[in-house]
Amino acid sequence: MLAVVVFSTASLHTTATPAFQEAAAQGTEKKPKATKKPKDDQKAKDPQKPKKKKKAKSDQPSPDEPIDPDAVEPGGGVRFVWKQHPSLRFGSVFRVDFEAKLQEDGRWSYPNATGLKDPITGKEQTFQLHRNRFGVQGHVFKRIEYEVEHEFTEQELTEKDIAAGITPKSQWKDVDVNVTYVKNAQIRIGKFKIPFGLDELTGVTHNDFIYRSLGANYLAPARDIGAMVHGRFFKHGLNYWAGAFRHDGDNARSKKIQGGNETVAARVTGMPFRKLSPAFAGLEVGTALAISSLSDDSFRPNGLRGRTLVTQDTFYTPVYVNGRRHRWEGDVDWMRGPVSVRAEYTWLTDDRLGQGISENDLPDARARAWYVAGTWVVTGEDKTRPVKAADEFLRGGIGAVEVAARYERMWFDSAGGTSTPTRANRAETILTAGEKVVTLGVNWTLNRFVKLQLNGIREQVEDPGRNPVPNGAAFWSRIIRLQFVL
Amino acid sequence: MLRFRLRALITVVTLVVGLPFVGAAQTTPTPVVDPADPFFDDSVLHDVYLTINPKDWQTLQIHYMENDYYTCNIQVGSIKLQDIAIRSRGTGSRNPTKPGLRVDFDRNVTGQKFLGLKSFILRNNTQDASSMHERISMQLFRRIGLPAPREAHTRLWVNNGYAGMYLIVESVDKTFLQKHFNEDNGDLYKYDYNADDKPYYLEDRGRDPALYVPHPFKPETNESHPRSDIIADWIRVINEGRGPEVFRQLIEPYLGDLSMFVKHIAVEAFLGDQDGFNGNYGTNNFYLYRFDNKSLLQFIAWDKSEAFKDGPEFPIYHNINDIGVQYRNRLTTAVLSIPAMNNLYLDTLLDCAKSITEMLAATPGTPADTRGWMEREIEKEYMQIKDGVYSDPDTPFKPEQFEAEVNSLRNFAKKRADFVRTQVTAARQQ
Repeated sequence: MLAVVVFSTASLHTTATPAFQEAAAQGTEKKPKATKKPKDDQKAKDPQKPKKKKKAKSDQPSPDEPIDPDAVEPGGGVRFVWKQHPSLRFGSVFRVDFEAKLQEDGRWSYPNATGLKDPITGKEQTFQLHRNRFGVQGHVFKRIEYEVEHEFTEQELTEKDIAAGITPKSQWKDVDVNVTYVKNAQIRIGKFKIPFGLDELTGVTHNDFIYRSLGANYLAPARDIGAMVHGRFFKHGLNYWAGAFRHDGDNARSKKIQGGNETVAARVTGMPFRKLSPAFAGLEVGTALAISSLSDDSFRPNGLRGRTLVTQDTFYTPVYVNGRRHRWEGDVDWMRGPVSVRAEYTWLTDDRLGQGISENDLPDARARAWYVAGTWVVTGEDKTRPVKAADEFLRGGIGAVEVAARYERMWFDSAGGTSTPTRANRAETILTAGEKVVTLGVNWTLNRFVKLQLNGIREQVEDPGRNPVPNGAAFWSRIIRLQFVL
Repeated sequence: MLRFRLRALITVVTLVVGLPFVGAAQTTPTPVVDPADPFFDDSVLHDVYLTINPKDWQTLQIHYMENDYYTCNIQVGSIKLQDIAIRSRGTGSRNPTKPGLRVDFDRNVTGQKFLGLKSFILRNNTQDASSMHERISMQLFRRIGLPAPREAHTRLWVNNGYAGMYLIVESVDKTFLQKHFNEDNGDLYKYDYNADDKPYYLEDRGRDPALYVPHPFKPETNESHPRSDIIADWIRVINEGRGPEVFRQLIEPYLGDLSMFVKHIAVEAFLGDQDGFNGNYGTNNFYLYRFDNKSLLQFIAWDKSEAFKDGPEFPIYHNINDIGVQYRNRLTTAVLSIPAMNNLYLDTLLDCAKSITEMLAATPGTPADTRGWMEREIEKEYMQIKDGVYSDPDTPFKPEQFEAEVNSLRNFAKKRADFVRTQVTAARQQ
């Protein structure tokens, strides 16, 4: 039998993103082996486990589930396999998996929300083909992994932008090669996520909520072109990622914002308390640092912006920045049985050298964000990402149902300044502008391919002058998402 | 008891003595002082100083077609404000060398005002070699009793360098609405004509309000929830093709007794405005205000830089009856088909003629000034701005072009009234 490395998007993230973290956070000291059936004797040995805990009857892995890269694949020669993805394999020499991630949304918010209108026609667009990603992934000679993924519908442009030929964030997602000859020092080259931010690094089909947190959306860098070394020690007790990138990610760029330049980033996660108690076995802590150079070449303000979560109304417009951008985040991720808790704090500052009206230096522009989130799988399955239904819908069960809640805040200001705070893009003292968001959700995993998510989101923009609804009021949005992965 | 009687006596005396004064106060209210009056005082040439990051000023000039805002500080007289916002503005007047500017005071600081103003315009006059068309036109609108922005000339200084002769123009915004109509909660629209737009004559485009709002009727207030259905209904009524009297009844909820509208187009015709409501390029250059909780609409004059250019013999019915039906403004055609309104149109033209030729009352001991108001106004403005225009580093016009256009204005002022009177007489004889 030939050993075949099988990896999905999530499993690629395991080498750079939280898929390994997710697996590790489940208390597994071994590499995540989601395809492996839990052994009854292992269950019996753990007196802490609830007796009614459900386990998936099917050993078929979900398409977006982490896979053991060292799993032994029976058979050789050219053959077609469909376990997680449709897959074409030639022994252990070559493998290509075909994958798809489709997310279609229904959205309702306050009347005339610009962000929920069709960018072409300007009419209300209740239903949206939010993400439609297709790609391939696989390996060559076992130790050279590759992935190519393209987004076909995600957009955030107005009619004028499109008429002007402006394209949205890059439509190419992960396009990279990962060389795994040295497990503790793997090399990844191409376009992929800069290792920063727990929520941002969680795969798009694994999210507990329809939308990532504000900090992940607007402060974490997301994808860029670069090279990274990463690895793991102590059976996933310690993981690291360190890389250099051409810019500071898609999230920092938009049609009007150029983003930062050369970026270096590093992230470390660990499970330092897993030996202390079984309760801490699923507790992982992480931290990341990213430094980018900023130039003021852009004729428009080059700083970051703050927008509402659902309707994408801008509540903080960018300021002029120049010098360096520093990002730091700390995060905690804990899973135990059907319950999970996550929290993350992100801090960012931008130098503003020579950016005053009289070309004087200004105090740093600063952005901060935090969230606390919790989930509970009410049907009793263990919390994993993705959640795996013990009894799939229409196959003798109702699937897995999970409730989730998140509270978060993101806000912008300046780190100093003595003048009266204003919203000016060259203000010495930047007027604090932020948003608080509560998200309540239900996730229904029907089977390994289909998930339905319902979110109620309450947003409160703190600066009444930038609130999209009259009188500074909070507003609710309702989102329903149908997700299909292949 | 004595104390009670004393109190009653004092009360009665107070009432008897005080009541007449109360009555006087009610009948002669204290005039409301507009803090912006000195800023729009056109008897003086003003100086406006902007301090802006040099890179921003350069960027604004390079990207003059964009509406991006730039932060700067402003000083007018002894008043200094920080972190205000400016941007390039205009349609045909946009210019990379001498940009027209919108100056916003409350964009970066909620509630910040300058002499009670939230914003004003610095018009670059790059389409008018005399730099006077706009100011004279708006004065005539006001002399006829129509709402129009106040204007005054200013030298603009950017980072202490002379940036040229500009015109301070009062913004048509909530402050303007409150001042003129004592309310500001209705919908204010700016007719938004783009250079590549097909000329529009208020013909019926359909029932969908989105066919009219936000383009070409661009909401300036209540942007997210304008009553665009009222605009669509108004256009429908204009185009229903009813007889004059039925039309008059149907249009009344939108334009009242029509007199303000008729006066508006009459003043434009008198000024020879080729880019106004009945302009050569379809309708253009006006604001429309829908009063709060009503369908009533009010026209407000805007941008008269193209006035005067066709000289004093600009026909009074230009683009009204001297072009094909398909190129005529549907509202103008319908309204002037009402004999009383056509008569009012002609009366207003005569009022304009009278106004521009109005002489100063004779002062004992001084020679009589036989010049009319417009002639005097032209000379006043000429003396104010001549030096500033000559030294303007960025004006697209040479001094001789300035002098020629001023002479053209002088000619207009001398001949226009008589020409219009003749045309009105001829029109009434038909």
